[in-house]
Amino acid sequence: MMTHAIRTADAADTLSLVLVSLLKGAVYREEHAGVWQALLQLQPKVREQLAVLGLKLVLDEPEGYAFLRQRSESEGGVELPRLVARRQLGYGLSLLLALLRKKLADVDAAAGGTRLVLRRHEVHELVRLFLPEGTNEVRWAERVNQDLERAVGMGFVRRLGEEEDTFEVRRILKAFIDAQWLEDFERRLEAYRVRLVEEQGGTE
Amino acid sequence: MDFTTLETLRLKHPGWRLLVADHAPLIVGFLHRVFVASNARAIAQRELVLRLEDHLHALREQRGAAAFPRGASAYLDEWAADGTGWLRKFYPPEMDEPHFDLTPAAERAIRWLVQLTEQPFVGTESRLLTVFHLLQEMTEGTELDPKARLAELERRKADLEEEMARVREGHLELMDESALKDRFQQMSDTARGLMSDFRALEDGFHALDRRVRERIATWEGTRGELLETVLGERDAINGSDQGRSFRAFWDFLMSPERKEALTRNLERVLSHPAIQSLQPDARLPRIHFDWLEAGEHTQRTVARLSGQLRRFLDDRVWLENRRILQVLRGIERSALAVRSRPPGEGFMSVEELAPTLELPLERPLYGPPARARMADEEVKEATDDVPSEALFNLAFIDKARLRLNVREALQAREQVSLAELVREHPLQHGLAELVTYLSLASEDRKASVDDARTQELFWTDASGAARRATLPLVLFLR
Repeated sequence: MMTHAIRTADAADTLSLVLVSLLKGAVYREEHAGVWQALLQLQPKVREQLAVLGLKLVLDEPEGYAFLRQRSESEGGVELPRLVARRQLGYGLSLLLALLRKKLADVDAAAGGTRLVLRRHEVHELVRLFLPEGTNEVRWAERVNQDLERAVGMGFVRRLGEEEDTFEVRRILKAFIDAQWLEDFERRLEAYRVRLVEEQGGTE
Repeated sequence: MDFTTLETLRLKHPGWRLLVADHAPLIVGFLHRVFVASNARAIAQRELVLRLEDHLHALREQRGAAAFPRGASAYLDEWAADGTGWLRKFYPPEMDEPHFDLTPAAERAIRWLVQLTEQPFVGTESRLLTVFHLLQEMTEGTELDPKARLAELERRKADLEEEMARVREGHLELMDESALKDRFQQMSDTARGLMSDFRALEDGFHALDRRVRERIATWEGTRGELLETVLGERDAINGSDQGRSFRAFWDFLMSPERKEALTRNLERVLSHPAIQSLQPDARLPRIHFDWLEAGEHTQRTVARLSGQLRRFLDDRVWLENRRILQVLRGIERSALAVRSRPPGEGFMSVEELAPTLELPLERPLYGPPARARMADEEVKEATDDVPSEALFNLAFIDKARLRLNVREALQAREQVSLAELVREHPLQHGLAELVTYLSLASEDRKASVDDARTQELFWTDASGAARRATLPLVLFLR
């Protein structure tokens, strides 16, 4: 009887821990082993509780990450105020994320087991081709660094160890920069290009 | 082994290149000590750099400070470079520091050099016996005829009974010292050879994985055909010859009785005076623990590779990856076309990784409010006749309408500045309306006024004159 009461108290604590951890940020198997285990066990309960807040649990077991997403209106229920903010991305950052996503796909297709680790200069190489020619080298390098910094801030990229210029692209990026997002990006970019050609058509 | 093959080998094979390297004594000496002699697998970069520095330091004491002038990390980077290939540099899962392991090719070269210097004693009997045993196992393992099999078992039974009878009579056949030494030599050779096999095995698994992935990536047909032709079954790695042999080895090693027997027998053999006189390698009594450790490493690699490959072949992932690569080609084309005039900010959006929580302690604490200063000379006497109704007109400003403007603007975005609001809803009552917006901002807990930044607002007044105001940055937040 006694032990049973203690056990339910523990379970409630664990559930709280899991929920609060998720509300604070993405949970990774490698970094939060305890929370991860509890999350796997309490999954149905966690989903139930989150539904109250209009949130949805996204759990990728093989890749080892979990995070919360806003329930979309199409999934039923009343429309609630948003808890998960949408972040506007500048063109530079959008392009950087798309190119990093491609690198991830390349890594997946090429050799097994390797994590995507890039040095700062490799990130520069990645975007160099798509930057306006003849601009101030230092200026654009700064801009790329800024975008990289933003990607770190958003949790898609992280600094590795003490090496200041080594970055790991986290696999969670795949959940956000997915085929649909990229298609959207492509469409907008294409529309922009067409408009640009039309504008310049008069002058040329 | 024709001339061209050998020539390419000498140029390309990391093992041969190690043998002819300028600093070969330094490299081999160090790698042997760190990886081979201690049966070590992955070593963290920081530790390896430290050990190489020690090693270089000792050499410089003998050879003068000018010997080997470069730093330890520079050497390690060179040894791990693609063109050299003596070390493999990789990031193990769950670790942020790069690790190093010896490549199988370098290990083979080192092993060959080791053989040049050791073993004056060459045992031949045990090798011959091994050949006999292996041949016998193979014939028995492929014998289809039950009669022949039974006959062989009967023969062995008779042999055993004969031996038992001799022992009962007190005739114990003991192995003489040279036979013992011979067998011991072979045993320790094979035992240490197993360590290097793990390395080669893992390398083999990586190569297999790479080959399968390459074929998947370049595959043009349907996924079903791919599974059928490339793999036949889902688990390409575990199902390979290497994979099966490794699994059998692992099961054998993991059985508790085998482990116990191994420990017991090793202890007994090693304590024998004849073996003691050979001064056996100090790590030999622990060799099966090293096997376990190295085998576990390989086991984890195999499991990880299989898992990833399975996942890669998963319908969803496979299709999504192909679609993504295709879309990205389009993006790259367009991005190149517009690179001289790239689009501006706010191009795409993405959801954040977690809900936004407002924590009281993360908000700025109390700060003294900015005080408005009015310079005396700015106050001038009014020359125009200002109708006093203008002041009362304030009452006509519909605060609710302004509040609605703010709320509507926030439906589409996270925040809106006063300047944007005024652009979208031009001021109808000039300054008075602006003041009302400011009062709305001061009432709204979520609105912020940033004195450090300013914004400019434009409007046209009732008489049609353009007006401009510079204000601190006012932001309404959702």
